[in-house]
Parts: sequence; C-alpha cells; structure tokens
Amino acid sequence: MQFWALIVDSLRESLDRKIFWVMGAISVLIAATMFCISFEPGKIVILFGTWEFPSDLFTTNGAIRQDRIATLAVSWILDLTFSWSGIILAIIATAGFFPSFLERGSIGIVLSKPMPRWQIFLGKYFGSLVFVFVQAVFFVLLTFVVVGLRWGAWLPGYLWAIPLVVLLFSYIYCVSVWVAVYFRSTVAAAVISLGVWMMFFGVQATAESFEYYPSWQSNQTVHKAFQTARWIVPKTQDIIYLVAKLSGAGTSGELLPDPDLEETDMETIKRASVAERKRMNMNPLLTIGSSLLFEAVVLLLAMWKFARTDY
Amino acid sequence: MESITEMTNWAVDLIDVRKTYGKTIDALRGVNIQVRRGEIFGLLGPNGAGKTTLVKIMMTVVRPTHALGTILGRPIGHRGKLARIGYLPEHHQFPPYLTGAQLLDYYAALAKVPRAVRRKNAERLLDRVWLTQWRDTRIDKYSKGMSQRLGIAQALTNDPELLVLDEPTDGLDPVGRRDVRELLLELRSAGTTIFLNSHLLSELEMICDRVAILVDGHVARQGTLTELTEHTVEYRIRFQGDLAPVQKKIETLGARIDGSLLSISGHDTEKINAIVDVLRGAGLLIEAIEPHRFSLEDILVEVMGDKRVARPTTPP
Repeated sequence: MQFWALIVDSLRESLDRKIFWVMGAISVLIAATMFCISFEPGKIVILFGTWEFPSDLFTTNGAIRQDRIATLAVSWILDLTFSWSGIILAIIATAGFFPSFLERGSIGIVLSKPMPRWQIFLGKYFGSLVFVFVQAVFFVLLTFVVVGLRWGAWLPGYLWAIPLVVLLFSYIYCVSVWVAVYFRSTVAAAVISLGVWMMFFGVQATAESFEYYPSWQSNQTVHKAFQTARWIVPKTQDIIYLVAKLSGAGTSGELLPDPDLEETDMETIKRASVAERKRMNMNPLLTIGSSLLFEAVVLLLAMWKFARTDY
Repeated sequence: MESITEMTNWAVDLIDVRKTYGKTIDALRGVNIQVRRGEIFGLLGPNGAGKTTLVKIMMTVVRPTHALGTILGRPIGHRGKLARIGYLPEHHQFPPYLTGAQLLDYYAALAKVPRAVRRKNAERLLDRVWLTQWRDTRIDKYSKGMSQRLGIAQALTNDPELLVLDEPTDGLDPVGRRDVRELLLELRSAGTTIFLNSHLLSELEMICDRVAILVDGHVARQGTLTELTEHTVEYRIRFQGDLAPVQKKIETLGARIDGSLLSISGHDTEKINAIVDVLRGAGLLIEAIEPHRFSLEDILVEVMGDKRVARPTTPP
C-alpha cells in the first residue's frame, strides 16, 4: 500500500510535467511520419504516392523483408529517437524528482510515516521510472502498430523494447539519483548523469572500435583497459542490440547503400557489422547482469546516504 | 522517581536527548520532557533553542546523538508506532500537483490507513477544516491559510493517538487560529495527546495544560502554567489620593509604590488586607485590587536572562 502510494504519486508528478506531454507529442509525430512512408516492390513511397524512390532494400521478389524493416525500426528509429533524444529528455524531466522530494518541508512528513527509509527510497526510485515506462509503452505500441499496418511487418519481439528501454534509462537515472541525494541539486543531477552517460557510451564505443580497426589492438595495455572498463560500466548500447535481435533485425550497416563506397570503407563497414552481430548475440544475462551490478552499487550508495542524512 | 503506572501514563517520555551537528554545534544538550496522555503540551523557546530539532528527533526525521525514553510506550525511533502519530512540520511543502483530496489519500496510505477508511476520513477532515469545496483543486492554487489547514487535516488522517504540530497556526488569520484552537481542544477531549511547538505564546497560554521552555538546548522550566508563574504572583492596588502621610507604613508592609499603583508580591491576604486598611484609614479611594501573574512571554524573557538557564533541569 505504501509502496504503491509512492508509485502513484510519482505518476501524478510525471503527468504534471509539460515535457511528459511534449514527449508524447513527439512520439505521435514520429509515428505519423512513419505512417507516411510505405514499402512496395522495387520502391519506397513517401506521403501516399507524392514521391517515390526506386529501392530493393526492403523488398525481395515482391515480398517485404522483415529483417530489414526491423533493422529500420530498431537501429534507426528507436535508437536515434527514443534511446537518444527520448532518454535525454527523460533525464532532464526526472532530474528534479528526487531533489524536490528531499526538500526540507516535503521530506519531513514522508519520513515521519511508518516506513523504513530504504523502502521510501526504492518506492520513489521505481516511481520515477514510471515516467519512462509510460513514454516507452506509448512510443513502442504506436510504432509497432504503424510498422505492422503500413510497413507490412508485425514484429512481436519489438515489444521487448518497452521494458528494455526502461532498463536502459535506469542505468543512467541511478547516477542522477545518487547526485540528487548527495547534492540535492536538479541541475547537477541532470548535467552529471548526462555526462556520465556519455562516458559510458564513449567507453563502449572505443572498446568496440578496437574490433573495427585491428591496428589499434597493437597497444595491448589500452586495449585491455577498455575491455575491462567496458564490463564495469553499464552497457547502454547493448540494450538496442538486444532489442534488434529479439525483433529479428539485421545489422544497421545492411541499410547503407554500398555501390558508391570505397573498398576501405566497405571493409570497415563489414568489420562493424561483424562486431555488431557479435554484440547482438552476446549473452543477455551477462550484459544486463553486469550493468545491473553497477546500478545496484550506485543505488546502494545513494540509499545509504539517504538513510543516514538528517533532513 | 515515578511509579511504573505513572511512567506508562506518559505519551512522550524523553530522557537525556542530545544532538550535535557536525562536531561543534550542540543543538540539544540533554533534554528531559514528559508529556501525559491526553494533555496538550506546549514547547516554547527563542529561535535556535532546539525546538524543531527535538520535534524532528521525535518523528525520526533527524537521528539523535543520544536519546533514551519512549513515545507511546515504544523506544524513540520505533517505526511501527509512527502509524499512531500525526505530524505537521513548520514550513511544510506539499506536492503542488496534488489536489487536497489526493494529498490526504497519499499521506494516509503512507501511514498504512486502509483505503475505505482513508476515503471516509478525507471527506470528514476536509469538512472539518472548511476545505470541502476545494477538495479537487490543486494545492498550488491554495492560499497560505488553506495550505496550513490542509496540513492539520493530513496530520489527522490516521486518527493519531499523538499529534505533533510545529507552528500549526502559522499563516492563519485570527478566526482561523481560534478555529484551530477549538479543534485541538476537541481532540484533547477525545483523548488525543497534543505536542505543540509555537511562537504564539498567548495561544499556548490559552490551551496548554503544561509547557516546557527550551533555551540553548536545555529545558529551563517545565510544568503547568500555574507552577511556572507561581513565583510571579502579585496583587496590584490602584488608588486615588495623597499617599504621603502613610507612605512609610505602606513600604514597611512590603508594597512597592509606582505612582498611584501599589504592587504586593505573593498570596499573603493578611498583608493585603492590612495595606487596604491603611489606605482606607488615610481616606484614600481604592479603585481596583487585581491579582497579576507573569505571562508566558514574561517567563520566557525572565528565563532567557537567567544565568541558571545554563544548568539542565531534572524531570518533575
């Protein structure tokens, strides 16, 4: 009852934020844009026939290529829109949840209730995730229906994006919460968590680049350092690879037109595709488990601080 | 030393409560306070005395450096007992996105009040604090007084045995303050114990059964208002006429002369009658004879200027 009360309160707080509705509107806009595109044998049709582009990328012998459609939906649309810009907006929107919760005149009444502090902390934390959960449900369901109705590919595996995007957000939000508990600043929580996310991405991308550019591996120390660091930080990109695999998608490079590329570029793209395929086939328990370990440590530190602080 | 029966009659029994912030700021230096069940107890003192810190320690918002004692029969900090306590902090801030009804439901749920009871209580309490027509209005549209009344309502959502209020009439107009006083007296009649922290000494005088004065982290005085002001009782006699012929005699009888006003300390009725006889014998006209006690404010000022404040007091 108490836990649920904190979740409901966070939902109400989310609904009160203008940015919540802006994100919903952006989801509608993206889905509407997708709705205006369709794939027919030998061509891509824009705006119900207003423009047409010859292409065999998404059809073969008159049939829709589900894997290519899935790649487009996951690796381009979901990745670029929701998992990048959507997460940034969500981090900014939720950065104030904990600082306002911890304000002196507000936290006093909550702490005076018969509820252990760790339970209050976790209730508020999971309640804050509701913001992204609702957005994810809306965006994924909307795009799922558009991909099915207009693009001719029903991808039930794509629905896994709902919990997995929330998981991705939680990897970054735990840092925001840690900052909020220690410094009680909305700005610091937003800026630092976004900065740390960039660091996660940088470590992952650099570690993967050693596979795109084998010559880099000559520096064994740096190579090992990045491979180790890659296991410590949350693997945010792996979430998208996992969604791609569950949706039956191919690698993102398959959608790049190849006739005009030089041979060296083609080689790099081939290596990137191999690396991407390897990431997609990675054991999900391993990648999620190690990321959750990082998240658990950060949250435990924040929870400890919250439990010990006088408000 | 109280008997076991007397000890269990304490709703609040704070023994040697200390709080040090950092390593150097001693906010509380060994506070001993006892509050009987079913009474209204007032806590007063100057700014920085430690009143809010003490209240927060009682409500587990702040952890004490050291504390013995019980609240409603359980050790200080016992989480389960918090379900039977209602609390309104000073300068509270409610989530602005909630309506009045939603807020009461939220805090009642956190206090483990079952849903059906929450709904009934919310309607009753909103009515009791004259906010029924505002039940579905967002709190950020409420005035300061409305927010304060809502705060009192939220402290009552779990039908508490003990109500802890920090400046409950802050922001209320005189009518609102009177209504809150009446509400608190009603609650006391129903058996609720009320622990009140307020700067409005006149209000504490009107409703408190007992008070404690906290100065510089110590309890300087504690007891009923009568006990605290016992030593300040005096009688004042206002008269008309020339006192000169009998002035020496009046002074010998122990009266202080201030123009046409005589002040006689204590309850000694024989002395007072003797002075009256002298005045009447000299043909002076007596306009009024009035008993006078220090107010709570006078006591507080006296305590703050008293060097004995530095020593902690023992419990009654």
